[in-house]
Parts: sequence; C-alpha cells; structure tokens
Amino acid sequence: MNEPALRVMVVDDHPMWRDAVERDLIDAGFDVVGVASTGDQAIARFPAARPQVVVLDLQIPGPSGVEVTETVLRHDPAARVLILSASGEQDDVLAAVKAGATGYLVKSASKAELIDAVRRTAAGDTVFTPGLAGLVLGEFRRIADPRKADDDPLEPQLTERETEVLKMVATGMSYKQIAERLVLSHRTVQNHVQNTLRKLQLHNRVELTRWAIDQGLDREQDAE
Amino acid sequence: MRHQPLPAVRAVEDRLFRALAVLRLVVLLNAVLLNAYRAGNFQHPTAGAVTITAMCAWSLLVTWIYSDASRRTLPVLVVDLALAVVSIAVSPLLKGEGFNATVPGFWVMAALLAWAARLRWQGGLVAGVLLAATDLASRDHVTQNNVGNVFLLVIGGPIVGYLAASLQDMAVERDAAQHAAAAAAERARLARAVHDGVLQVLALVQRRGAELGGSGAELGQLAGEQEVALRGLIRAQDSVVDEPTAPAERDLAAALAPFDGRARTTVVLPGGQVPLPSAVVDEVVGAVGACLDNVARHAGEAASAWVLVEALPERIVISVRDDGPGIPDGRLDAAHAQGRLGVSGSIRGRLSDLGGEARLSTGPWGTEWELAVPREATT
Repeated sequence: MNEPALRVMVVDDHPMWRDAVERDLIDAGFDVVGVASTGDQAIARFPAARPQVVVLDLQIPGPSGVEVTETVLRHDPAARVLILSASGEQDDVLAAVKAGATGYLVKSASKAELIDAVRRTAAGDTVFTPGLAGLVLGEFRRIADPRKADDDPLEPQLTERETEVLKMVATGMSYKQIAERLVLSHRTVQNHVQNTLRKLQLHNRVELTRWAIDQGLDREQDAE
Repeated sequence: MRHQPLPAVRAVEDRLFRALAVLRLVVLLNAVLLNAYRAGNFQHPTAGAVTITAMCAWSLLVTWIYSDASRRTLPVLVVDLALAVVSIAVSPLLKGEGFNATVPGFWVMAALLAWAARLRWQGGLVAGVLLAATDLASRDHVTQNNVGNVFLLVIGGPIVGYLAASLQDMAVERDAAQHAAAAAAERARLARAVHDGVLQVLALVQRRGAELGGSGAELGQLAGEQEVALRGLIRAQDSVVDEPTAPAERDLAAALAPFDGRARTTVVLPGGQVPLPSAVVDEVVGAVGACLDNVARHAGEAASAWVLVEALPERIVISVRDDGPGIPDGRLDAAHAQGRLGVSGSIRGRLSDLGGEARLSTGPWGTEWELAVPREATT
C-alpha cells in the first residue's frame, strides 16, 4: 500500500536548523511542502502549501510563532502545529499551546523523537514534554487560585483524573506507563491529556471574546 | 547657579512655579482689597495707588517671566525680592510712622516662595531674613503680632525651600530608577535574543554530534552540557529581572533549576516564580538533593529522574520520580526495623521540621517522593 506522504511545513529563521529538520523529514519519507524563515513568510506560504503539520520555531522574526499558530489554525483548523523550540519551557510555549499548538518538542530532541512527534501530531495526538505538562499544570493552578482578584465561575478546571495524568506526564512517564499504573487504556490517557489542552484553548478563546466585548469590538454587529 | 537642570528637577520646579503663580494672584488680590478697604489710612493716597499699581504690574510681569524655566534667573529673583523689600520699606512714608499693616501685606510671600522654590532652603532663609528685617526696621513700635508674622516668614522660607529640594531629589531618584528598570528590561530582551541563537547552535551540535558518533558524540555531549548550563543562567537571570521578592524570600523555582544540569535529571517548573522564605528554600533544595542522590545510589546508573514543582494556593508540592525498578516490598520495613532510617528518615525529618510532609510511593513504574511544604512554613 502506498499512502500519500505527510505534508509538512518547516518554519525556522536559522538556515542550518531549517535545512537539518527538512533533511530529517525528507529522509523519513515526509513531503516538505514549504519552508519559511519569518512569520510573514509562514503566513503567506501556508495557504498554497496546505501542510498537515507545521513544525514551528517560536523565536522567528515577526509575527511571532504564537501569532503564526493562531493565524494558520484559523485558516485551516485541520492543520496541526508542532512547536520546536530552543529556549526551553517558557511562557511563549504556553501561549502557543493556548493558541492551538498541539505538540511541543525541545530542539535538543533526537532525530527519531522529531520524526515520531511529527507523526503523532499529524495523527491528532498531543505531544507533550514533561516541561510543558508542568507549565500547563501551573497555568491551571493559577486559574484556580482562590486568592486572585477576579473569581470567575466559567474558568476551566481539571478533573482529579486529568490532574493525576498531567502530573505523571510532568514526571516523565510515557502514556503507556501511565495507562499501566492507572489501569486505563492508552487511548483514555491520551484523551485526558488532550482534554487539558482543549480546556486551556477554550478558556483562551473565551477570554479573547470577553476582551473583545469589553473593548466594544462587537458593537458594529449590535448596531444592525 | 545650576547649569542645565535635569528634566525631573525642572518638572518639579515648573509645577512649584505654576502653583506660585496662583498664590501670587491670591495674595495680590488680598493686598489690593485690604488697601482699598483701608484707603483712609494713607497719608499719600496717590503715591499709595501708584505703589499698588506697580505691585499689580510686577506681579503680572514676573508671573510671565517665571513661566519659562530659562527665565528664572538670579537677577529676576533679586528684582522680585528687592521690590518686595521696597514695598515694605515705603509703607511708613505712605501711611505715616505709626502704621499697623504694611502696604503689600502678605504679597511679599510670593517673592519669598520664589526664592525658596528656585534656591532651596538657603534662598528661602535669605529672603525670609531680609523681609523680616525690613519689616521690623520700618516700624516704630513692634507688636507681638508683628513678631509672630515675621517669625513665620523666617522659618517658612527655609522649610518650603527644603521641601522643594526634597521633591526635586525624589523626582531625580524616581527618574533614575525608572531609567535603570527600562535599561535592565531592554538588556534582558537583547540577552534573550543572543541566548536563543546560542541555544539553537548548541542544540544543533548536540543533535548532529550524536548522529556522527565517536568524537562527534563527545562534542555533542559537551554542547548539551553547555545548553543546560546556559538555560540555568537564563532562569537565574529571569528571577533577578522580575520584581524582586522580599530579601528574606527566594524563588524556589530558580533554586531547583540547577538540578537540571545533573545527568539524566529533568526539572519541571510551573512557570513564574515560587517565592518562599530563604531558609525553607534551603531545606527543600537539600531534601530534593537527597532524593536525587538516593536515585543515583539505589535506582542504578541508567535511571532517569524528574523533579516537578507545583505551586498550589496553600502549599508547594515537589515530586521527585525515578524510572528505576522501584523498592521491593518489605525492604523499607526491614530497614526501619533494623533502625537504618538513613536517607529517607532525613528527608522526612527535613519536611516535618517545615510543617510539611514527605510521602514515598513505589511500584514497577519507579519510585516517587512527594514533598509538600505549606506556604506559611515554619522554620
């Protein structure tokens, strides 16, 4: 059987990195349908290239990786964004995940890990590093903190099970190990992890909408 | 005189002189109305009217002159004060030797405050003494009331001058602090860009090196170690740049980050700072170090370890997990029975001293310590 090769786009401003990632992906049998070195290029080339997965460096000349994530996913919600970052777990990684990225890998990951991550991201899986799981957990803790000023009944909360799973991801356990330890199916573990991201992304959208209403951006429609 | 005053000094002075312009108008109106009301007291009404007209004209002129900082020169201030002195000195000539109130009355306050605002406490003192001396000298008899007013002039001048100077100094300090903060933020932004480039290259060398094998692999490993070191530095830098915590507090996240440099150890942080009292941070770092040493000793050389920090509203939880074979059933109990508490005892001890607790769980998935510290830890 000859299934069509996965279409991937590589966005990185570092030519050596771009070439290395592109070569690795081609070697693995992927179809690299586009490369870009800036946010502008990425957004301009995305519609024609129609990649299934965008392998995206966050530190690129503007617009930032977070904005690129938002823009390409608005254009094609079926596409997937895999963040490949050198600077480690920082707030911008969390921002990219809130904007809809479903995978995250540090650049020091091996070639095999990269290939695997692209494949899994394309299949709709979430690719988490322990570091990202820690950041997401931290974000939910902050959202749920009763000491903060704006207590909001709509804010997302993790279920106990989701917290447990995320904590295990954050302490380096694979989905398989988590499934064994909690006596769950691999798929269920994956769903739990995906749900945590979905809640965060939804919360992000709700906040954006609320912000737009506060700023009066919805008024034009109301005036009809 | 000061040359080229700092913008902050000038801004404060501008405000003081704007306030003074209003005050001068008020005291002028007061003088005009009182003199009009007591017009009968003048022995030379025409000369009196001329004097008051001159006071009005000068008030308007000097208010305009003072409205620009570059025109607030010593000669103008001298003329301002001289006119105030003269207006007091001519009072006995206009109203007769036994007069009660001087012609300008409170109007002289405007010149005094101009000196205080421009020349600090020294200026206020000089102007105050001059006006006071003139006032006393022009009277043939001095009442207790006169002395009181004069005394207020003499102490008011330096006090206002001192306050004006303090306001200016504070404005300068605030400006310097804001400037330093902006510079630090810009430096951090630039450093981040530089660091990111270096991290990119280190990651690339590490990756390609591992694929090359041999001496390439060694290079790759070196690059990997440097990458971890640089990441630790960046985190340490971030915790310095962010708003400073109280000196007695430290950021637990930054304190635990260096463990990431250990072989096969990953430190997972919640993002942002986790401030705790310094002594608590030291104890927790010690306990985590002991847990990791334990991993190296019991779980085998090949085992990896993860340190997860969670900041909950009322407590901080640190999980240390390894992927070793776990502790066989009964081994801990046996050790306990033999009185060999060793490392696990010391970890539990440290945590209970902080009012927290340490829990150990083990299974085929490895061994995990969960250290919980209340935010209001006792030390």
